[in-house]
Amino acid sequence: MRALCEEAVSAALASGAAYADARTIVRRAQLVTTKNRRVDRVDDVESEGIGVRVLVEGAWGFACDRRLEAEGARGSARRAVEFARAAPGDHSRDLAPVEAVEDRYATPHERDPVAVPLEEKIDLCLRAEEALQHADVKVTTALVRAMREQKLLVTSEGTAVEQELFECGGGIDALASDGELAQLRSYPSAHGGSSASAGWEYVEGLGLEREAPRVAEQAAQLLRAPACPPGTTTVVIDSEQMALQVHESIGHPTELDRVYGAEAAYAGTSFLKPGDLDALRYGSERMNITADPTTPLGLGSFAYDDEGVAARRVPVVEAGLLRGFLTSRETAARIGRGQGGSMRADGWSRMPLVRMTNLHLEPGEGSLEELLAGVERGVYFETNKSWSIDDKRLNFQFGTQVAWEIEKGALGQMLRDATYTGVTPRFWGSLDAVAGAESWRLYGLTNCGKGQPGQHAHVSHGAAPARFQNVQVGVSPG
Amino acid sequence: MSAALELAERAVAAATGDAVEAVVQAERSGFARFADSEVHQPTLIENESLFLRVARGKKVGSAAGNRLDEEGLRELAARAEAAAAASPEDPEFPGFAGAAALPAVAGHDEETAALGPEELARLASEAIEAANELPVYGFLTSGTATVAVATSEGFAAEQSSTDAVALALAATDGASGYAEQTSWQVGELDPAAVAREAVEKARRTRGASDVDPGVYRAVLEPYAIGELLQYFAFDAFSGLALLEERSYLAGRVGEPALDEKISLADDALDPAGLPKQFDFEGVPKQRVELVEQGILCGAVWDAGSAAKAGGPGRSTGHAPPPALSRWGPLPFALSLAAGEAESLGELAELVGEGIYVTRLHYLGVIEPREGVLTGMTRDGTFRIRGGKVAEPLANLRFTVSVPDLLAEVPGLTRSRRLVNEAAFYDERFAYGALVPALATARFTITGVGGPPGI
Repeated sequence: MRALCEEAVSAALASGAAYADARTIVRRAQLVTTKNRRVDRVDDVESEGIGVRVLVEGAWGFACDRRLEAEGARGSARRAVEFARAAPGDHSRDLAPVEAVEDRYATPHERDPVAVPLEEKIDLCLRAEEALQHADVKVTTALVRAMREQKLLVTSEGTAVEQELFECGGGIDALASDGELAQLRSYPSAHGGSSASAGWEYVEGLGLEREAPRVAEQAAQLLRAPACPPGTTTVVIDSEQMALQVHESIGHPTELDRVYGAEAAYAGTSFLKPGDLDALRYGSERMNITADPTTPLGLGSFAYDDEGVAARRVPVVEAGLLRGFLTSRETAARIGRGQGGSMRADGWSRMPLVRMTNLHLEPGEGSLEELLAGVERGVYFETNKSWSIDDKRLNFQFGTQVAWEIEKGALGQMLRDATYTGVTPRFWGSLDAVAGAESWRLYGLTNCGKGQPGQHAHVSHGAAPARFQNVQVGVSPG
Repeated sequence: MSAALELAERAVAAATGDAVEAVVQAERSGFARFADSEVHQPTLIENESLFLRVARGKKVGSAAGNRLDEEGLRELAARAEAAAAASPEDPEFPGFAGAAALPAVAGHDEETAALGPEELARLASEAIEAANELPVYGFLTSGTATVAVATSEGFAAEQSSTDAVALALAATDGASGYAEQTSWQVGELDPAAVAREAVEKARRTRGASDVDPGVYRAVLEPYAIGELLQYFAFDAFSGLALLEERSYLAGRVGEPALDEKISLADDALDPAGLPKQFDFEGVPKQRVELVEQGILCGAVWDAGSAAKAGGPGRSTGHAPPPALSRWGPLPFALSLAAGEAESLGELAELVGEGIYVTRLHYLGVIEPREGVLTGMTRDGTFRIRGGKVAEPLANLRFTVSVPDLLAEVPGLTRSRRLVNEAAFYDERFAYGALVPALATARFTITGVGGPPGI
């Protein structure tokens, strides 16, 4: 593979590129889903290919080929250069310098998740589903996933990095229905469970079967719960929903390519400007956000990103003040700080983009119960159901699968169809407590979309339950 | 026989089982993506992948890969066979498709298929130059997506479809406008006209003001109503969602729930859309009426969901690409019937006082059972006063029950537009909604975001 990448890089330079990098990827991904105690899907997908990125007179070009052979490598290089030369516009780009490195890395793991027999995966799902059975639950679902990605990056600056990354995860859903209402509960996370960079031991530790009766019972209870009434109140948000809150209202707006408009027509831009660094108050002093691609189990954990920049932990928000952006070598050079480190591509057929790695809300102090104890009247939100945020990442609305009234410091009756809405800096400015490290949980999402053509990124977020004041809760749809 | 179908048939032959199905997806595509009037992410993709399902009795397994030499095919077949062996029996397994007569469809254009990177860059340049006074963001893309399906039961067919999209956001601080064109014939696109439409819209968005949350009458341009309907339809008109009682249609089929002016179909045969001949299980495409004059008619089905439903119902040819198959049948060719209004201005007159919406952003489904969605407006939101489009507005958050929005429709335009709905994740699969502009009596604003622009 290394010889193939070197051949692509050489072909690109010979065609006139000032810089070139080539990535070969062999990815195998498995997904097992069961539904209503029958196997729904047993997918086993392998994809391999080479992607070549070039810089020609300041213009990027990217082309790829599934064939891991010399013809595919050279052809991709030539076509990438041809496309870069044809690209209209004024082009001028610098890349932040990085030291050339030769290295290898593999995700720490005990048991290769792809090598676990399909029979075992199916059995785990069916056992979890069996435990989800409930008179009011009409649809039960369980899933497990496993992935192994072998990735080699060679750059024209002398970097050659080989990484073997493992991922796996799982989850369960119970959909209760009474003909009028349909209510979903999930564990450990909505929208496909939760995943981690780890061996199969992570899935075994999720306790899907153990948690299933509670999940089913709560789905059934939701059918009889009142809808969350609208109002402005104190909210406490669980760590799972906080993970998505961090993702949408901090992760995406701090991607520096978005700040510079690269996603303007699709995913949107950011309310942040380059000059906001070290100056903008993002939230209250309780707010500390860290980007950390070295987090154990994080889906955004690696030794080097897709530009060969070494992983390192960096602050994004410190005591409420904006301290960092997520950057590439190009955007780091443009803002004059750092060297990048957040460039990631979805497989071999996509160009790397600035993506989140692992972005965390750092823990505060105390337990969830202590957070609740400080609330006279409010709402506690748990497990994401819906999300939407505007193109500048300011106005957001989230819904959760379940909520509870908070009355005099304790949870009261269950509420269904609960939503809350806010404007990013105002919302984070109302943060008055984050629970402590013992309540901090890591969630791995596999459905973060960005780019055209579209790319999925797998990212993790760690968070503890958090409390916010004066939040708009509930809306009345027309 | 073409290469893709030949590959599918070789794959069927390479696998051992009681029944085998092979789906080949081949892609040759280009994206000239631009920002601030410069191409910044140019991407050329060449790929060919194979999805193989093997049935042993009622035990079914699948595997996919893109290493397509003899050894690759053998290894892929072995993985699919192992998956089948590991799976319990599925008593509802409907079997694979047999030979079928296929409808004749349009959808392949030689000029589009032959488009190279230089031509794509030239088309992007046309948009950038036409924008002139304002920076533009967007893309030109074209592609050829070939789908071949072969089964051991006798189905063997291939379709090579072309598609092209020109999309432009003209934007600066405090102003932005949006436009796009989509067709299976690149010659139908006018990138300069797209850019000019976006610039003209952007010019009128400076100085945007807020409005109070509340229920407004509104005009939705095709870009907006297309996306809203697509999001609603994925849950509402899926046969699987209907069976699982999470669809708005559950318990309501036959009800006159919407305005009589609303007739909605899924019609992949229409040459004005992005035509498809058969679905990813080898079932011929057919037009399916979803709503007729306001009455809820039914949903779309794939083989698996039709088998689960039992009775006389059969697949309507709506099995999605393998990467999306876990979602069940999906309507990818929405077609909303036109109305009588001659122009958007006439719709504004019908609205009288209200809001004009060009485009939506980041929709989220809050409650699929009632069709409740939220999202933002962007890149061209205005007040309508006295039946005329008036001052610009900030980006607005809306939270609507789509059926409620469609329950009172003062009018729709006579002309329709094909709106791209694909974001081009995974293997290329272009799809869009063919829709007119629509006026509604109920569009609920629940919040206010930032001003237009970047």
